[in-house]
Amino acid sequence: MRNILYRLKRRNFISFVSFWIIVLLYLLAIFADFIAPYPFNKQFRDYPLCPPTKIHFFDKDKKFYLRPFVYEYKLVNPALNKYEVLTEKICPVYFFVKGERRKIFGLFYSDRYLFGTKEGKIFIFGTDIHGRDIFSRILYGARISLSIGIIGVSISFFLGFLIGGISGYFGGKVDNIIMRIVEIFMMFPSFYLMLSLRAAFPINLSSFQVYLLIVVILSLIGWAGLARIIRGMVLSIKEEEYVLASKALGIPTFKIIFKHIIPNTFSYSITAITLSIPGYILGESTLSLLGLGIQEPYPSWGNMLSVCIGNLRILSTAPWMLIPGFFIFLTIISFNFLGDGLRDVLDPKNW
Amino acid sequence: MEEILKLENIYVGNEELKILRNINFSVKRNEIVSIVGESGCGKSMTLRTIIKLLPKNLKILNGDIIFEGIRIKDLKEKEMNKIRGEKIGMIFQEPSSYLNPLFTIGNQIEEAVRGNFKREKRKEKVIKILKEMELSPNVYYQYPHQLSGGMQQRAMIAMALINNPSLLLADEPTTALDVTTAFGIINLLKNLVSEHNLSILFVTHDISLANYISDRIIVMYAGIIVENGKAKEIYENPLHPYTRKLIECLPEKYKKGERIKTIEGEVPSFKNLPPGCPFFQRCDFKMKICEERIPGEINFENRILRCFKYGNTLES
Repeated sequence: MRNILYRLKRRNFISFVSFWIIVLLYLLAIFADFIAPYPFNKQFRDYPLCPPTKIHFFDKDKKFYLRPFVYEYKLVNPALNKYEVLTEKICPVYFFVKGERRKIFGLFYSDRYLFGTKEGKIFIFGTDIHGRDIFSRILYGARISLSIGIIGVSISFFLGFLIGGISGYFGGKVDNIIMRIVEIFMMFPSFYLMLSLRAAFPINLSSFQVYLLIVVILSLIGWAGLARIIRGMVLSIKEEEYVLASKALGIPTFKIIFKHIIPNTFSYSITAITLSIPGYILGESTLSLLGLGIQEPYPSWGNMLSVCIGNLRILSTAPWMLIPGFFIFLTIISFNFLGDGLRDVLDPKNW
Repeated sequence: MEEILKLENIYVGNEELKILRNINFSVKRNEIVSIVGESGCGKSMTLRTIIKLLPKNLKILNGDIIFEGIRIKDLKEKEMNKIRGEKIGMIFQEPSSYLNPLFTIGNQIEEAVRGNFKREKRKEKVIKILKEMELSPNVYYQYPHQLSGGMQQRAMIAMALINNPSLLLADEPTTALDVTTAFGIINLLKNLVSEHNLSILFVTHDISLANYISDRIIVMYAGIIVENGKAKEIYENPLHPYTRKLIECLPEKYKKGERIKTIEGEVPSFKNLPPGCPFFQRCDFKMKICEERIPGEINFENRILRCFKYGNTLES
């Protein structure tokens, strides 16, 4: 692992950076309970569409404070969401500040957060139309958006390895039947398949059910192409001499497939995994954006963006509503760079 | 001595090709038998017929394979898997490509161990056999690419012998190695016969190597056995014209500066075999009958021959 990272750093620095960005994003998602200053569903009715709070070190008299501080905002024109900054009062930002009691990891309660203010509010990415803190919602949304990629990819890779491996190894009739089924899955445009699969289920499911449903739908779409590639690789690897040697040792067929053949596809499939995670993240975002995915008040990066659809007023007065889109972009481009770099590094011909 | 392996009237091929035709031979306990012939004579196919790992398009058409009293030709794949590795081991030509590059030697040999043993017991077993192969126990933790060709072949032999099989099929195990390493491997195999109560069926191009290692030599040509007899007798007094030519080509028979003879022509391809004796075109003693009929097996001077020069039996 360290060796791979070292080679990644030397060979492809962008993908090395991307790796750490991905690690950072996942850490933010895991520790969202602790980092987010507010709960994801906490509505500040006095602060709809409040712009990002600026963090200051100098007050209006140019006096320097070592501890950063924020000013309070006041809604002056509710129709146009105009805010006034109250520069009289300084609200210092504290680390490990005491706040509302909240459950951490669903295990224990805590009332300390990474940062926050005692007076005033701190919305570093602004708020949405209901006055919910976008930064906190992004962290909680990351839990859904980022985990869907990992879980979806593991399900579809499991299916892909199993089905592709069997198909390639046995060949003949089995192969023919499986590949025709795969083609049926690949025949449909994946977007419409996704929509119609979602439409086949009731709309008013609980948020956890919707989450599971999306994962299953996405992996059902994703496994087919993968199974085909794995099948192709197995077809060539099964002719390798060490497979014949393990047959001559009397090793059972399934052990040969999963111990000797599948691991030899890893140099390709690790790359394929990193390159296909963005597809799942985007798939979830698309469904949520269309209102078919994760339902309010639970945040996901997709449904946070959905408010902006067809609402030019919001886009022009509150561009910070698009920040979740930036996070989608950042995650996907990082995964793509990482996959690209891994392809270079894991290919033994490049060592 | 009892026969542990017996092939009777084996025909291998499909509708179009016949790769092996009427193969009859047997291997006794603690005996080393060599199969000699040019490339494309069906030597490796004979081994793969015995272990029943023929390429998909080839089948055993006829005949019987009897191994330790069991007719393995009719065994199901599952039962065959019990014999492979446990009763019959196999080693191959190019050890580097027959070892999985992703796993350590220890891991791969351990995988071949049969029976329920605890982890430490398995490891002990593997290290014991590695020592027997004159490898350091360190090899257990090494990957195939970290070993030299000779060490890889020793590891392969260790893998094939971990369950104490009674028959070892060796498919040109020394062809890819240099001469001194090959010599080490050959001597190792020779010693294993008595230590492990083992019989070896050894395939090689090199008839002098076959003479060195084996008790009996089988000479194959284009899918038939042309001569089968005691190694020493065949080497010193070859009867079949093909065996004679093979021995004539050995470099050690020549003085310095002399030109080494070769056998003119090449092995006929299996797609258009001549109707008569397959060696007909290259033979110095060809007769009219050779062109039309395949010679049958005859017993001549304590060996089995297929040549009209020594008798007029026809292949049925």
